[in-house]
Amino acid sequence: MDEFQEILQDFLIESFELIEQLDQDLVELESTPEDLELLNGIFRVAHTVKGASSFLNFDVLTHLTHHMEDVLNKARHGDLVITADIMDVILESVDLMKALLETIRDTSADAGIDVSSCVKKLDKCSGGTGDVESPVVPAPEPVVEKESEVENNSDDEDELDYENMDADEIEAEIERLLKSRQDEDKARREAKIAAGEPVLEAPSEDTEEKKDEPKETPAPKPVPTAPVKKVEPKKAEAKAAAPVKKAPAPVEQTIRVDVKRLDHLMNLIGELVLAKNRLIKINDDVEERYEGEEFLEELNQVVSIVSLVTTDLQIAVMKTRMLPIGKVFNKFPRMIRDLTRELNKQIELDISGEDTELDKSIVEVIGDPLVHIIRNSCDHGIEMPADRVALGKEELGTIKLKAYNEGNAIVIQIDDDGKGLDAEMLKNKSLEKGIITEKEADAMSDKEAFGLIFKPGFSTAEQVTNVSGRGVGMDVVKTNIEKLNGIIDIESEIGVGTSLKLKIPLTLAIIQALLVGVQEEHYAIPLASVLETVRISQDEIYTVENRSVMRLRSEVLSLVHIGDIFEVERILDSSEHAYVVVLGLGSSKLGLIVDTLIGQEEIVIKSLGEYLKGIEGVAGATIRGDGGVTLIVDVAALMEMARGVKASVVSEGNSNLLISNEKNKASDYTIMIVDDSKTDRMIMRKALEPLGVTLIEANDGQEALNVLKSGNHNFDAMLIDIEMPRMDGYSLAGEIKKYNKYKNLPLIAVTSRTGKSDRMRGVESGMVEYITKPYSSDYLSSVVQRNVNFKSEFL
Amino acid sequence: MGDKLKQIINKQNMQTAEEIDHSEDIIQLVGFVIGEEEYAVPILTIQEIIKPISWTRVPQTPAYILGVFNLRGSVIPLIDLRVKFGLGAKNHNEETRFFVLKQGDDVAGFVIDRLTMAIRIKQSDIGPAPDTIDSDESMIEGVGKQDDRILTILKVNKLLERDF
Repeated sequence: MDEFQEILQDFLIESFELIEQLDQDLVELESTPEDLELLNGIFRVAHTVKGASSFLNFDVLTHLTHHMEDVLNKARHGDLVITADIMDVILESVDLMKALLETIRDTSADAGIDVSSCVKKLDKCSGGTGDVESPVVPAPEPVVEKESEVENNSDDEDELDYENMDADEIEAEIERLLKSRQDEDKARREAKIAAGEPVLEAPSEDTEEKKDEPKETPAPKPVPTAPVKKVEPKKAEAKAAAPVKKAPAPVEQTIRVDVKRLDHLMNLIGELVLAKNRLIKINDDVEERYEGEEFLEELNQVVSIVSLVTTDLQIAVMKTRMLPIGKVFNKFPRMIRDLTRELNKQIELDISGEDTELDKSIVEVIGDPLVHIIRNSCDHGIEMPADRVALGKEELGTIKLKAYNEGNAIVIQIDDDGKGLDAEMLKNKSLEKGIITEKEADAMSDKEAFGLIFKPGFSTAEQVTNVSGRGVGMDVVKTNIEKLNGIIDIESEIGVGTSLKLKIPLTLAIIQALLVGVQEEHYAIPLASVLETVRISQDEIYTVENRSVMRLRSEVLSLVHIGDIFEVERILDSSEHAYVVVLGLGSSKLGLIVDTLIGQEEIVIKSLGEYLKGIEGVAGATIRGDGGVTLIVDVAALMEMARGVKASVVSEGNSNLLISNEKNKASDYTIMIVDDSKTDRMIMRKALEPLGVTLIEANDGQEALNVLKSGNHNFDAMLIDIEMPRMDGYSLAGEIKKYNKYKNLPLIAVTSRTGKSDRMRGVESGMVEYITKPYSSDYLSSVVQRNVNFKSEFL
Repeated sequence: MGDKLKQIINKQNMQTAEEIDHSEDIIQLVGFVIGEEEYAVPILTIQEIIKPISWTRVPQTPAYILGVFNLRGSVIPLIDLRVKFGLGAKNHNEETRFFVLKQGDDVAGFVIDRLTMAIRIKQSDIGPAPDTIDSDESMIEGVGKQDDRILTILKVNKLLERDF
């Protein structure tokens, strides 16, 4: 049973692959009915499927393919001309064949689909009466023959001394033997045909043509300078044993791998990339700390090797997941053919770049959007043949579908030479349907108007047809493409045509991102949507109709603060300079104001999980080098959200919450002592304890900052030592002064540094007093009292 | 012969059923405190319990969702049960823990004030949630009594269910 399952799996995989090719071939055949090569190929597919299915006892499938084979065989021998009607029947039978294979895949049986009517039609095409008979099992004759021949051959050639040959000679000899055997086969077959034997064996003519080549260049004799290895013995043998398959193909060394394994591998690489990022960060930290040490160079080398190999590994794994986009493109010729017949138009599909590779997961989801776009082009884009002639265009409309690489992305471009998009008409339609307002319509550029076709509920079709006009579809295209972090760009000219460009990143799991900071938070923006970044000062921001805008070269760019979108609390004082990240998505642009630009990094996209999914503006999360989580911005959603945000960029929310400063007793005063020496802290404590104030101690700047941030205490003053590990007094003061809330918190330096420059630095970093050690307790106490406005009645 | 075999099988079935009944009688829970009250969840729903680590705020979420944190490479939501239960937020201290609960594919971390202990409690000692609480909407599975204390046993699936 297991063995059967295995065979069945192989059968299904092979059959689906064959059928995929079949669709394309059939459509091509219709335009060139004389193409014998093509016809043979199609015939072979039917034959192969028939042979295998009869072996596996799928009677219905065998029955159907048998009749298909009949028709194709007739056509192949010139007894039948493939007309559009016959093609319809053949295509119908191919569809049935697909359905049957799908049933087999799901249920392991081919019951449940009625093929009789199609079989009857097929029968009629092949000149029969429509009477249906039981299927015929193809004779395994050829295979048996081959086997007996192998022996013959070896008998003939036995006299050669194989012992004394080197590898190259042997190879040449094998090649020679193979060729002579192939020639023999051919001779036999020809004899058979001449004898008028019924030819079930598929590739007779086809193989003949191909095999003519080896015949013309007779097999080389074994010579020391052996010819280049061309056909691998094994492959050639397999070919000889299975003449149904296509003749000499270039050697393809592939194995089938379960996608799950690749997904797992990709996940592991993701983890590795994160670890690499972390390593790089640690390396930077270590470099800063142990500058000039010898081991640093070694560490640097290791880190760079690891990061290099990780990148290569990532690319290598990405490549294993790549599939040619041709897999998707293959189904379109058939679709166009059906549509042209349905719509009575004449359309030619021109496909190029089908070898361009994309990640498997993207290939899987890109199909539907493309179907919508192409249907749209056929229905709305290309005019009726008569109209085209009237416009002086060729009767035959052309849709060009091409794929190519552009940097880290792949571009799929769909061009038609139809009537093009009419911006005014689009606007009017949208107004009618209430998708946009009059005001919006007036302000809209042509490009923005083209974007209207992606709005849900939008349809320009006057009447609903089978093909389009239901108002769904193009918005699905947009959502699907944006889900892939892709961008859509439309260009169109009335009467000339429309060009749609889909720009999609090569892979989904790992992307390049721009990391930005706002207050204390970080966000990652997919680099694919970032056009540029500019540094501006606050006075370059203007307010127009309650919205912030800026002038970027000749354009006016609307602005939104990332903090307004993500509800970031303004705890840090904003500097007078800000950075604007110019985001572009298709035709729309937006300037996103951020506080800082952190840099570009390779990030691994992780889902936020079931609980938090679907949060507006957040596309996912990533884990950074420091182990923290950074959210990834969903640029498309952010642009939507930006419309609702009113200008608050200029009106800084500077209304500081006044901390209740009411002091009722001495212990209401809280003072922080920051010093790395326990003795020094003790001395200060001793000096201040008599006042009865609350004292909190911190070991160094970092700890002090954490205590401050935790917000457990409202400090009235801080005594800060200058020389401390981790964060010194100057840096601490600088950090504290960044917070609006602590602008007026008195910072008192207590230090043994007495130099004038030290004092200057203290003042610069925002210290109000500068006490030099040693000092008397009374002096310290009085300075503190003065700075916190200590009420004398508590003494 | 056939009857005899059936009898033996029946007997065996009954025995195993009893054994299962017996083991089902005791439920293992882990108790924790939020505010003044003690709660518990079944021990098997706990993936792990960790000390507080840093997290990242997620915008557009209710106040009780603190954000997300990194648990060995997975991004997990963090929910403050104090806020969710209507108590004010409190700064984390030495006793604060993150409870990582898991059911099926749903995972989330919950901030609790303090751990108490692992508890073995008899099924018969667990009463239903008070009548005043709508049983479908309620997060309470039941109320366990042990010695002199009362434990509120929470429904893990409700805790892990997104309700905004």
